[in-house]
Amino acid sequence: MTQPLPRRQFLHGSAAAGLSQIALGSMLAKEKIDPTNPYAPRRSHFEPKAKNVIVVFCSGAISHVDTFDYKPELIRQHGNPLPGNEKLVSFQGPNGNLTKPLWDFKPRGECGKMVSNLVPHIGDMADDICFLHSLTNKSNTHGPAENVMNTGFAFDGFPSMGSWVNFGLGSENQDLPSFVAIEDPRGMPQSGPNNWASGFLPAAFQGTPFSSTKPIRYLDRPKEISGETDQAARDALRFLDSKSRDKFGGDPNLQARLASYELAAKMQLSVPEVAGNLDAEPAHIQKLYGADSSNQQKAGFARNCILARRLVERGVRFVQLFNGAYASGGRINWDGHSKLKEQYDVHGEILDQPVAGLLKDLKQRGLLDSTLVVFATEFGRMPMFQAGTYGRDHNPNGFTCWLSGAGVKGGTSYGATDEFGFKAEENVISPHDFHATILHLLGMDHEELTVYHNGIERRLTDVHGKVIRKILS
Amino acid sequence: MNRVCSYCLLFLFGVSGYADDGEKWWSFVPPTKPEIPADENAIDFLLEKRLAEQGLDLSPEAEKRTLIRRVFLVMLGMPPTAGELARFEKADYAELVDFVLADSRYGERWAQHWLDVIRWAETVGFETNLERKNAWPYRDWVISALNSDLPYDQFIFEQLAGDTTGNDAALGFLVAGPANLPGQIGRDEEAMRQARQDELDEVIRTVGQSLFGLTIGCARCHDHKFDPISERDYYAMQAVFAGLTYGDRRWRGKENDEWTTRVPEVRQKLDTLKKESEKLRVGLMLHRPLDDVHTDEFEPVTARAVRMKIHATNNGGAATLYELEVWSGEKNVALASVGSRPSASSFALANQTRHFDNLVDGTVDKRQAFPWVSAKSGPAWVQVDFAGPETIDRVTWHRAGGYPADYDLEFLPSGPDDWQPLANSRKRMLRVDDTRDVKTVRLTGLTPEKIQQVADQVAKIRKAEAELARLSRGPQVYGAIFTDEPEETFVLSRGDPMNRAGRIDPAIPVSLGKLKLDPKSAEPNRRLALAKHLTDPAHPLTARVIVNRIWQHHFGTGLVETSSDFGKMGIPPSHPKLLDWLAIEFVENGWSLKSLHRNILHSRAFRQSSLPNQKAATIDAEARLLWRFPPRRMEAESIRDSILAVSGKLNRKAGGRGFDFFQQRGGLSDYRAKETFDADGWRRMIYAHKIRMQAVDIFGAFDCPDAGQMKPNRTRSITPIQSLSLMNSPFSNRQAAFFAERIRAEAGTEPPSQIDRAFLLAYSREPDLDERERLINLAAGHGLDQVCRVIFNTSEFVFLQ
Repeated sequence: MTQPLPRRQFLHGSAAAGLSQIALGSMLAKEKIDPTNPYAPRRSHFEPKAKNVIVVFCSGAISHVDTFDYKPELIRQHGNPLPGNEKLVSFQGPNGNLTKPLWDFKPRGECGKMVSNLVPHIGDMADDICFLHSLTNKSNTHGPAENVMNTGFAFDGFPSMGSWVNFGLGSENQDLPSFVAIEDPRGMPQSGPNNWASGFLPAAFQGTPFSSTKPIRYLDRPKEISGETDQAARDALRFLDSKSRDKFGGDPNLQARLASYELAAKMQLSVPEVAGNLDAEPAHIQKLYGADSSNQQKAGFARNCILARRLVERGVRFVQLFNGAYASGGRINWDGHSKLKEQYDVHGEILDQPVAGLLKDLKQRGLLDSTLVVFATEFGRMPMFQAGTYGRDHNPNGFTCWLSGAGVKGGTSYGATDEFGFKAEENVISPHDFHATILHLLGMDHEELTVYHNGIERRLTDVHGKVIRKILS
Repeated sequence: MNRVCSYCLLFLFGVSGYADDGEKWWSFVPPTKPEIPADENAIDFLLEKRLAEQGLDLSPEAEKRTLIRRVFLVMLGMPPTAGELARFEKADYAELVDFVLADSRYGERWAQHWLDVIRWAETVGFETNLERKNAWPYRDWVISALNSDLPYDQFIFEQLAGDTTGNDAALGFLVAGPANLPGQIGRDEEAMRQARQDELDEVIRTVGQSLFGLTIGCARCHDHKFDPISERDYYAMQAVFAGLTYGDRRWRGKENDEWTTRVPEVRQKLDTLKKESEKLRVGLMLHRPLDDVHTDEFEPVTARAVRMKIHATNNGGAATLYELEVWSGEKNVALASVGSRPSASSFALANQTRHFDNLVDGTVDKRQAFPWVSAKSGPAWVQVDFAGPETIDRVTWHRAGGYPADYDLEFLPSGPDDWQPLANSRKRMLRVDDTRDVKTVRLTGLTPEKIQQVADQVAKIRKAEAELARLSRGPQVYGAIFTDEPEETFVLSRGDPMNRAGRIDPAIPVSLGKLKLDPKSAEPNRRLALAKHLTDPAHPLTARVIVNRIWQHHFGTGLVETSSDFGKMGIPPSHPKLLDWLAIEFVENGWSLKSLHRNILHSRAFRQSSLPNQKAATIDAEARLLWRFPPRRMEAESIRDSILAVSGKLNRKAGGRGFDFFQQRGGLSDYRAKETFDADGWRRMIYAHKIRMQAVDIFGAFDCPDAGQMKPNRTRSITPIQSLSLMNSPFSNRQAAFFAERIRAEAGTEPPSQIDRAFLLAYSREPDLDERERLINLAAGHGLDQVCRVIFNTSEFVFLQ
């Protein structure tokens, strides 16, 4: 038997044996991650428009027809069945009649974009936003659909978008984690840590979860150990580890361990500096975000928004900012099956001003030129109420996400659902297209950002994805 | 909705079992045993041959204590004790090898490697991530199979068909992956079919990757892009498992037999209790208890409306009913469709509809309809107003969760009169599932003492029934369960469950041969045929795949680096002849894993030094040619187990229900990590309750997989989060204090002997002069605890050399 030509020379290594052997890029690209500094900045495939990303993720599926997707026909046909789908059975069962938006819409900004009174502050920023009205999702179940939006796959265990981005680009800040996941003060999103997991990428690229209310675990030395003692211990550790490294001729993995303790020590200073003294922000900034609100949950989320700004300001590459928590009958997330009006009035108040404040603040600091703000959710909601309830069922057939900032045309809308907001019809966008576009804005070709795993070169975008070029500035 | 393949590359240009040059792909050709000179060790001979091509050679043998430590860490997952170290320093190497192969820590260490491959966990995954309470016996089964050196062909057989040999725990293998719960699946046909496809797909992925070493799952939506596996092959394989579902099954064995023998006695007791109860009922002149679908009959009356006043439910929960029917002869006049209007004291909305409209919608199909549920527990009422006066003679209600245990039925006559009674529940014997506080139970005409007597009798029956059910069901283990009549399997075009493209019979991928199975064969013949196929000594993949996995965990990397992918997307073997030799030798040795270990452990390749060599490093930096034993960071489990072993706190309790890393054992969110542990939590990490998609505190950062995806090769990353956790966590610091305590107890108060003892226990060596001095100073200035804290954090402690 003659041996076929190996697809890769094994001496170059691959993903099997550790950081030093993870090759970046396509199977032919041989730029390696430096194990002594996996977060070193790396060149993008081409000139990027955006350096950093903040993803505002509305967990539970925020209703597009009640926020950004204005449908006059839905208002006119209020109370009638959805034509052609009179007996539609969706996720939770039978649907009732078409129901008009529960908040009035008004034209906003110079562009006159119709946005509802549920999110008036965000509406005011319409001139800086590119609305994508024709998103679709493969799953109509929260967990898997959330996975799709954040990892490209419905199943658990795939690397999240933030991990891919850090794998590709590294970080501009060597004192902070390069990918931070900020949980909503009300709790963890539906698919939990899978939203920021590194899957089969090295653990170094996973998101580090912390927020204005929840610090990094074990960041600080134990209370009973003094600073002096801690330093003495670190010095002794460095002494011993340097000896090991030298014994092994400067082995890169042993060097990486030394480096990891140094970065850990830096984080002990830099993380509290960025996350610990949010109250020191000037009063007008707190007010801008609504961090001064007497509504504790709104103030908490607003502080998370301030934290997100501070992180990108310091060069943190990717920030996930969750709004809404886990399954709770819509009580603490956007899953408005039954009491949509009552629950969304609560959630809208928490979401609206802080997100608008974040956009305004980034803009006034010039950060919106280099930061891409992504607003996403796992799917939309039906234009009908569910039979016998005052809420809307899951709708993965058409929903709205939006982009703002670096590289994106503000004051525009792309794609459309049908006249009722039931189904995406014009310029339909898959989550893969959405991801491809975000990677493109970061200067990466989504087809080139790959890693071999279990028999396949994996990508964030699976085997799909087209960059939405029309929305690029 | 457009279904798109979420797995694989889409374009495919035909299928062949051949590489581009027309040769059959290497892993599909059965291995042939290479010629080895009589006086040579085959492993070393073949490695050296390849090294020589690069002008390299194996390194000299490692220093003895380093080697002893290596054997312990690789085989048992923790360093030798001081006594073990001393013993084997003096003994022959062969004695050391025999020792570790006979030690039960071996199974505990190596079972984890297998669990990684199949992403085994004790929760279901997905959005509920609920606990699989009875999943742990599978983990123990794997450990015990390894320790008893169960031949690998048997190991495969039991996992595919343990139901035929009474090895129920082994069937945890097939259902190791995630599967959504029925309640989490959409109610539309498409969602239900999709969910079934997804759960079978997990089975095929498990079997395909772990046993065949092939990514058969890639062919779910289209023929495999690279390997000779067609979409038809995928669905033929699915047909092998068409009779499978996920769930608890009877765990046969000693306990089961004991329980079974007790059944007649408990049944007898129950019969007696029931007879007594019936006698009591008749004596007290009570009617028979309520039914699940209960009808109250009465003399016909003319009514405009009927209402049911519910005073109490059987279990104290909110009042609920699926349907309320009011009969006029054979006509249900309560239906909304005949113009009746329902109302109720309240209705719960929660996440789903619980409206009173459900009472009269004419459907009790629990998949398509909902019940009415009151907004809160306590008294409630439901009412149906008819379109006009109706002559009615009976009322039927369908229970939902709990049932109304104390209620009045009333009607509104067609006239000015007020509500009139129709029937009530208070002249009936209590049901066995009535768990109301006896003080609240009302039975017409009975004294409190008599009511107590009735309730006591019913409670006795309830208890006996529960006991009988438990004993009859037997001990349970989570595993695959099978139906004798498997559902039909269809090829699905593009993997779309709504797009069936023809029925298909069970088979293995065509390029691997035939199953020799009557296509109409039912359970368990399909799986038996598959097991037979896989364990055929001439199978080109089975033995190669497992010997490669074993090799990988000795040397850090497999001869085939992609150890669950021997297909064309995988990386061809670095040493094909060595792989073949190992595979054939393995089968010839009766599929004995311990013999394989012994062969590897005795090789010079395993025993050589791990120290670098400038020349070799330039040619082969990662030592894939094995010019040295490749040093590497240890796995999360070994780090934790080693800390506990060295601190003296390791609890060697084997088997059984796992200990907890979190405050809860399942569910989506709010997992709070436990920060301090007692002796139960000081067991080896393989005995931790494994939650899917939830990284373990401290050790998750050391690439301990979360069982979301199969993980045949762990990454070995090095991150600041690891450093923070190991430096600052209460676990590390507490264990450091225990370690210090142990050192003081064993080495006394003299600092030099303390440091020497610490080094011996943690590193299996003595310190150098400068190390000793440095740590004596640290201990003097900041305490011995700090020395121990530092040691747990050092590279030397967490690295295998």
